[in-house]
Amino acid sequence: MGDVLFLALRRLRAPLITLIAIYGISVGGLALIPGLDAQGQPGRMSIFHAFYVISYTATTIGFGEIPQPFSDAQRLWVTFTIYVSVVAWAYALGSVIALTNNATFRNAAARHMFTRRVRALNEPFYIICGYGQSGSRLAHSLDRLGNRLVLLDPEPHRVDRIAIADFATAPLALVADARLADVLEDAGIHSPHCQAVVALAGEDSINQAVAIGARFLNPAVQIVAREKSRVATANLEAFGGVQVINPFETFAFNLGVALRNPEVLQLEEWLTAEPGTPCPQLIRLPRGQWILVGYGRFGRAIADVLDRSGVKWKALEPGAMPNVDRGLVHDDYSASIANDPDIASADAIFAGADVDAVNLWVTTLARRANPDIFVVIRQNHTQDRALVEAARADVTFVQSELMVHECLQLLKTPMLGRFLTRLRDADSAVATATKQRVRDESGEGSPSAWTFECDTMQPGMFAAFFQLAQHPFRVAHLVAEPTQPAERMRGTALMIERGSDVILLPAADTALRPGDRVLFVGPPMTRRLQRRYLTEPGTVSWVLTGTEPPHSWVFRWLHQRMRGAV
Amino acid sequence: MSVDIHHTGNIPGSSPRRSAFVNLEKVIFGFFIIFACTLNFGFFIGDLERAELHHPMELLAAVVVNLIATVLKFGDRTHLGTTHLATSLVASLQLLAASLVWVWRLYVTQLPLDGEVTAAIVSLSGGALLANLFSVILLLGETLRQGR
Repeated sequence: MGDVLFLALRRLRAPLITLIAIYGISVGGLALIPGLDAQGQPGRMSIFHAFYVISYTATTIGFGEIPQPFSDAQRLWVTFTIYVSVVAWAYALGSVIALTNNATFRNAAARHMFTRRVRALNEPFYIICGYGQSGSRLAHSLDRLGNRLVLLDPEPHRVDRIAIADFATAPLALVADARLADVLEDAGIHSPHCQAVVALAGEDSINQAVAIGARFLNPAVQIVAREKSRVATANLEAFGGVQVINPFETFAFNLGVALRNPEVLQLEEWLTAEPGTPCPQLIRLPRGQWILVGYGRFGRAIADVLDRSGVKWKALEPGAMPNVDRGLVHDDYSASIANDPDIASADAIFAGADVDAVNLWVTTLARRANPDIFVVIRQNHTQDRALVEAARADVTFVQSELMVHECLQLLKTPMLGRFLTRLRDADSAVATATKQRVRDESGEGSPSAWTFECDTMQPGMFAAFFQLAQHPFRVAHLVAEPTQPAERMRGTALMIERGSDVILLPAADTALRPGDRVLFVGPPMTRRLQRRYLTEPGTVSWVLTGTEPPHSWVFRWLHQRMRGAV
Repeated sequence: MSVDIHHTGNIPGSSPRRSAFVNLEKVIFGFFIIFACTLNFGFFIGDLERAELHHPMELLAAVVVNLIATVLKFGDRTHLGTTHLATSLVASLQLLAASLVWVWRLYVTQLPLDGEVTAAIVSLSGGALLANLFSVILLLGETLRQGR
């Protein structure tokens, strides 16, 4: 209870004392005033009856039942009492109502309620700081995946939106600045169920402060922070223990991957898309002249990637210093886009200004001069989604989408991220082979990904690696239908992590070892059935040996005796 | 947090004053605590079984003053403040129980007070007196510490 109760009691001291005093005086007075008893003889009202009469008059109920008719002296006193006590009640009730309207009190009450609910959470949850475009999208995605959420935002109107938003389970939300350590503590950062803290506030400095605070408060918890500037990104990466996502650098990096190795990007998009999405088109970025409209943090990141891939570019930016060496042109866009001699010969345009209207008209002007130009467009606001879609760009950058994508990958299947990193460094043939294999074994829709851990603390794995050690437990067994081992479930093993070793695309007969972590993609059904290999030694024995050992003690004993007899 | 924090709250009709001579809040606070104790004592004193030695008006006054003393201690989160509140709550509950026994005997069972019931009422108020004495001891201890 703490704060709220004490705050309420402290504020209500004066009205309560007034009320008690007035009651005391009224009751005492009424019991002392001369009256008449049941026989009409002079007598006094008892304290109990006086309290009863005062109780119904003071609250203006006016019940009217009295033990005996009043004497005039009693009537005089009751008249006085009515006026005084009604005023006292009005004062007390007014104070209570004023208190519940009081902003400080309401905040304390909301905070108290929030803290209590967070403490009562006994399932895994995520803390998201910042409920803007990216924050709300990530919250909805995590909610759809069945996770509990704790949301923090300093803006009351954003938190109000949460109450009417469509969530499967209502998130716990608080209007508070997540940079304050006590806010993170109340949000449950110390809870054993806290999975991760995600900092998605609008400003880099806030996310930096949240990430560092969270890291100090609970070094064991996963922390993901968005940073838009290179300096902030570098700072947090140097700090360590925080996973930093820079949306511009990430997008530029992906463009670089697409330039070098489009198959890898296609596979990456497909494997990390929402389950069931068909395989996206292969994006073949042109390697000719690029026009970059907007040369801020985003444009610079793209320019660096283009430089590294040996692609020529020219940037337009209003107000920037002209720098001919790097192809940077000072410009207000409008004039030169229409008349720029380079436009007609350019292969691609990147409309990356931070105003959607600018990006749209730049695209239109460029297409007028060069109808076949490849368009990469940046969408800044969710509200402009329809407009940007209507521009039919070849590639669209939506920051919130990218953030959700990246965050989910880090939070839900970190192993898939590690697999994709390996893939980028590998030959494009590996990506093609992977795509083919996943398509053959799991179907056309994008699969979901999970990690199977050969954890020998689980009874099934204990049986597989120690009790039945003479039968090697292979990757193929993990995709065998538990009830009919001859049948194969849909699903593909993409990678095995064994200590610091990694096996990409393991063959079906690869023998597993205790402690192996296997990355699978496939339908969720496969994952559910696969769990039986962890929990049921009988199932493991069945797929390995074709016999199921007796479960109960009596039958085990009989079984052993029979074996002994034979 | 200072030790005398319950003296700095807002008590009706007073403002936190740092006068060298009289702190009205301390006067009010001490007044109600000691008044609660003395009224309680006044009701308690006398032969345990003789109803005529224990006047109902005195019990009423004791209940009212005890309730006020309890409310005065609301909202103080220091260790001393919460102990103060606890003693007052005990005293108020004991006195209310004593009044209830009285009302029950006279108006629900409709029998006059006899020695047994009077003893029950007065001993309940005796418990309240003990709690009130603790309150006074706490007040004195605190005052002495402030004085040095």
